[in-house]
Amino acid sequence: MKVAVAGKGGAGKTTIAGTLARVMADRGHRVVAIDDDSNPNLALTVGVDTASASKFPGIPRDMLEERTDAEGIKRLELTIPAEDFIDRFGVPVRDRLTLLVMGQPNHGGSG
Amino acid sequence: MRGVLGGLVAGTSRMAIVDLEAGLEHLSRGTARHVETLLIVGEPYFKSLETASRSFALAKDLGIASVRMVANKVRTPRDEETVREFTARHALPLAAVVPYDEAVVAADERGMALIEYQPAAPSVAVIRRLAEELLAPTAA
Repeated sequence: MKVAVAGKGGAGKTTIAGTLARVMADRGHRVVAIDDDSNPNLALTVGVDTASASKFPGIPRDMLEERTDAEGIKRLELTIPAEDFIDRFGVPVRDRLTLLVMGQPNHGGSG
Repeated sequence: MRGVLGGLVAGTSRMAIVDLEAGLEHLSRGTARHVETLLIVGEPYFKSLETASRSFALAKDLGIASVRMVANKVRTPRDEETVREFTARHALPLAAVVPYDEAVVAADERGMALIEYQPAAPSVAVIRRLAEELLAPTAA
């Protein structure tokens, strides 16, 4: 299952996303909680201290490749399998739950 | 980074729960294609509901199959009525009505996860039900 949570800042989307991820993991699912917000604070609501969550160094250039899709739009894609990427850059939260923080501006997520 | 998010969501066998950028402007068609359910969180007042309604239209244009509203910080029966009336009038499926909960504020002040601070908080109870509903085979 792939769920995305959207909403205006302050509406509580991060609390809902993080709590939902915890509940799903408690129910036995393997879950990756992905923070795609440019002001990332999903770590707090899944229960990771923000210091360990912010250690993400950014995606190394050799793991990214620019490709042009059918509509002629250029986009960056991973050159390694998603699972390898999550294993390498994800922060283990607890059993079955991993946090992945994408939104820091230092690796181009702010466009 | 757009293609990266879509690739991750599509490429993992895990359940993925993505906390998106506030607006949906950053959500590309390529990423949206891999999202099965989009939850749009809004508060029970007109401006917030209007914003949610616009996001709903945008998400439908992006081709996301199941787009559902989650009302949050609902304090009074009147708040709930406002939400129900608005979502019915705009034909927005309402997935959950999460009550305003002091535990959310208190957990935040302490820098703790809500579910750790108060696992039986009213808001957590509603999110547990939402999870069950998302997992149910009958869920749209």
